[in-house]
This record gives sequence, structure tokens and C-alpha cells, in this order.
Amino acid sequence: MAEPKLVLPTMDAIRSWHGVSVPNPAARHALADFEGLIAALEELRGDLVFEDEPAGFEAALQACKDQEA
Amino acid sequence: MSPDVLSELSMTEAADAFARGEVTAKGLVEATLHRLAKHEPKVNSVIRLDREEALLAAHAADKARGSGKAMGKLAGVPMLHKDMYYRADRVSTCGSKIRRDFVPKVTATVLQRLDAAGAIDCGTLNMAEFAQNPTGHNAHFGDCMNPWNAAYCTGGSSSGSGAAVAARFVTAALGSDTGGSIRLPAAMCGVTGLKPTQTRVPRTGVMALSFSADNVGPLCRTAKDAARFLGVIAGPCPSDPTSAREAVPDYEAALTGDIRSLRIAVVEPWFFDDIEEPVGKAFEAAVVTLQRLGARVEIVNPASLKAVAAYSALVSRVEGATIHAQWMRERAGDYATHLSARLYGGYAMPATFYLEALSRRGPLLRQFCEEALTGYDIVATPSLRSRVPTRAETDVDASPENWDRLMSLSANTRPFNYLGLPTISIPAGCDDRGLPIGLQLAARPFGEARLLRVADAFQRETDWHKRNPLP
Repeated sequence: MAEPKLVLPTMDAIRSWHGVSVPNPAARHALADFEGLIAALEELRGDLVFEDEPAGFEAALQACKDQEA
Repeated sequence: MSPDVLSELSMTEAADAFARGEVTAKGLVEATLHRLAKHEPKVNSVIRLDREEALLAAHAADKARGSGKAMGKLAGVPMLHKDMYYRADRVSTCGSKIRRDFVPKVTATVLQRLDAAGAIDCGTLNMAEFAQNPTGHNAHFGDCMNPWNAAYCTGGSSSGSGAAVAARFVTAALGSDTGGSIRLPAAMCGVTGLKPTQTRVPRTGVMALSFSADNVGPLCRTAKDAARFLGVIAGPCPSDPTSAREAVPDYEAALTGDIRSLRIAVVEPWFFDDIEEPVGKAFEAAVVTLQRLGARVEIVNPASLKAVAAYSALVSRVEGATIHAQWMRERAGDYATHLSARLYGGYAMPATFYLEALSRRGPLLRQFCEEALTGYDIVATPSLRSRVPTRAETDVDASPENWDRLMSLSANTRPFNYLGLPTISIPAGCDDRGLPIGLQLAARPFGEARLLRVADAFQRETDWHKRNPLP
């Protein structure tokens, strides 16, 4: 299977931003996963809504707590 | 009792037998050493065995009991723990070459609590390097091997914990769970593994993988064991401000065996995508068992799951990459191939998406609970969609082509880390190759008592958790 177009620019961006070079062929191969992840995130566009406080995760843990607890 | 008979006791059975004076701590430690001598070469679950210290601790426990001293809930019980729980002045390798000689200055809160309860620490267990693979491969200490069949994965990252409990080396072990690292080895080795609610157990003195998703919990034989173990390690710790202040209930008291009129939601379709037939059949049989016990089961399809699945792929990968950045610049060759490959991708995930994933975590937890846990007490899914894979077919170091199979293993466990829900995997079947199949159950935040009650009721009715791979 052909390597997705995003792989080379992603490697460049990682090197520029983080100073980390691609460590092995498996790391390069794994970047191909990003196509699926980007597609999944694209599907979520439009879902973001304004959240009133307390919107944080710890507040949600308390709010959703098992009533037996 | 012979060592092999002693090693068949569960953690609570061993602790209770010790408390009643029916067994000695020395006998229990010797049973551990006997089983290790007999079977460890087939499993490779141990990194460091503290034989003399364990025998000395056993002698002290026997002496204390003999003098009438009050003993803890786990007194006399030998344990081994994943090698990422720090004990001051003892090496904690984290399963890595980079930390092969790392000597922490602190002792993990959970180890202090187990010590105080009288558990006997016999050493440390093999694990995925820096707790970052779902299979049990380890390039530095050797792969941990499944006690049911050495060609197959143990599951990871708490590979040694799953294997050592299944092999009857110990009755319980600490694991950690960021994307399934307790539940996957529990499912693949045929033991019980509990990931508590996020914040339920303090993390001081525990190697970090992901600030947001790391959890501490036990792998053991039974839900009853998990209940007692959790009761010992849970609760707030002043040195860990992220630990919840919730009171710790008596989890064992909740194990009534009665789940009549309990409502169970089977969540579709995500957890059943591409499911292998033996796993699907075992899950259906488990559901029938729960129904026979009086539970009502319905199928739900939460709309929130799509976002939960997408975001859960982001958070721990970005945080893991951040934690390892300096070593990735300077010592990338000291990581196993699959680990540096996994970390590498984390640097390319945009900060805006990472923050989006974190900021939506609370709202999505509320939405999921509304959709799947309002009107229902428990969510049930298979722990894995596939049968236990072989070590060869998930070995990314041997071939990058195995990447997809490796990454797909945690598809059913990872969403519950993002949601922070308490989740347990219990043995619920056996596939056509003779390897275990796990049933995953989840409850609302801090609903461990309810979760354990269902798991315990299931285990009163079945014997999958009693099967010994190395009789």
C-alpha cells in the first residue's frame, strides 16, 4: 500500500517542533494511522457545544456518581 | 497442606486461613517459591525475586500472629507487583533498558498500604516497557508468556501480573491501567482485573504514563479478592491531590450474590465491530448466565461513543510522548521498536485536539452515563473483540505490518479510561484454542461495589476463574 501523503510532512513537523527524528520504519509506518484518526475527528466537527461550568472531568465524576456509593 | 494445594487458595482464602491459624505465612511464601521454581521458565513473569526478604517477612508475620498481635486484612499473603511501583532504595526498572538501574527515593502509597495490611512483597514482575503495549512483549527482559500457551500473548501492559496470578505464583498483584493494561492481561490470562474509577486510588510513587488516564488496581483470582484488595489501596492520599476524597465503602460487604432485577446494558455496536465468533458466543453465554441470576439485559447504542472512541486514542498518546520527549531525542535506540514507534506519533497530534479531547471528557462522561447508565446499573461488553493473539502476529519489532493488530487490541478497554469509569474484566469462557475469554463490566463513577457484586455473583455461578493453566 502506498504511503499516505501526510507522512513526510508530519515527520518534518515532528523534527522541527520537537527535535525528534523518526526512530525506525515502524514509526513511519504508524503515522499512516493518522488518516483514520483525522477522519474520526472530522466526523466530530459541529459536535462541540458551549459548556457551562462546572464542565470539568472531576465535576462530572461527582455529578455522575453511583448513588449506591 | 502441600505447596500446590496452598497455591490453589485465592487471596482472601489465604488471608482468612492465615488469620484463623490454619496456614503459616512461611508455608504460603514457600508455595510461591515452589510454583516459581516449577513453572517460571515457561512464563517469564518475574523481574526480581526477593526470596530471603520474603521468608524473613513471613517468619515475622508468623511470630506476630503467634503472639496474638492484631493482623492486617492481607496478613501473610505473598504478592509480586508490576515493576513500576516504587520502593525507596530498590531498583524499579519500569520494564525498560533506560531505567534498568533506576532507584527511586519514595515508596508508592499503594505499597505502603499493602505493607500495612500485612501483605508480603516478594519482588517485582515483568511488564510492557514503560507500560506501553497491550501484548506483553518486552525486548529487554524477554516477553512474558501466557501460562495457557507460551506462543500466545499474556496481554499488557501488566503482563507479569496477569501471568503470575494465572500461574498460581501469587494470588494477587498490582497492575496499572491507562488503556486496558489491567483488563487485557486479566482477559488473556483468565484472571480477574479491576480498573477503579479515575482518582479512586492514589498514584504517588507510581511510574507515570498518562497524567489523565493512569489507574492503579489489582489482578487476582476472584471478585472477592479484588474487593478486599481495593478496600486496602483506595482512598485519598495527601501527597496525591488528584486522589478522590470519597469515603471507601466496605466492598466485600456488597458481595451479596443477589443481582435480581439489576439492569444491564449491552453497548452496541462499537464493542462488537469485527468480533470473532468464539468471543461473541462466550459473551452471549455470559449474558444468559446474568439473566439466569435475575438481571434484565437490554441493548443500547450511545451516540457519545463515536467521540469517546476518537478522543480516547489521543490523550494517553500525547501525554506519553510528552513524558518521554527527552529520552526520545537522546536515547531513542534504547526503546523497543514498537514503543518508540508509538511514542513518535504522539508528537504530531495537534495541541488543539488534545485540549479538545480533555475539555470534552466531562461532558462526554455525562452524556454516556445518561445514555447507557440511566435506567441501567451496569454496562457489559467483551473485554476483547478477538481471541488471544499469538506473540508472533502482534510483534511490531519483527514487522511493522503487525501495527494495526497491536493497536486494535485495546479498542474495547480504552474508552473506559477516557470516561474514567470503574471497569472489571472477569473470565467468562474459553476459545477453540484453549485460551481464556474475558467479560468486561463497567459502572458509574465510584460504583465499584455494584460492579464487584455483579462480578462476584457471576463467579458464584461459573468456574472459569477457577481453571488452572499449570496444574
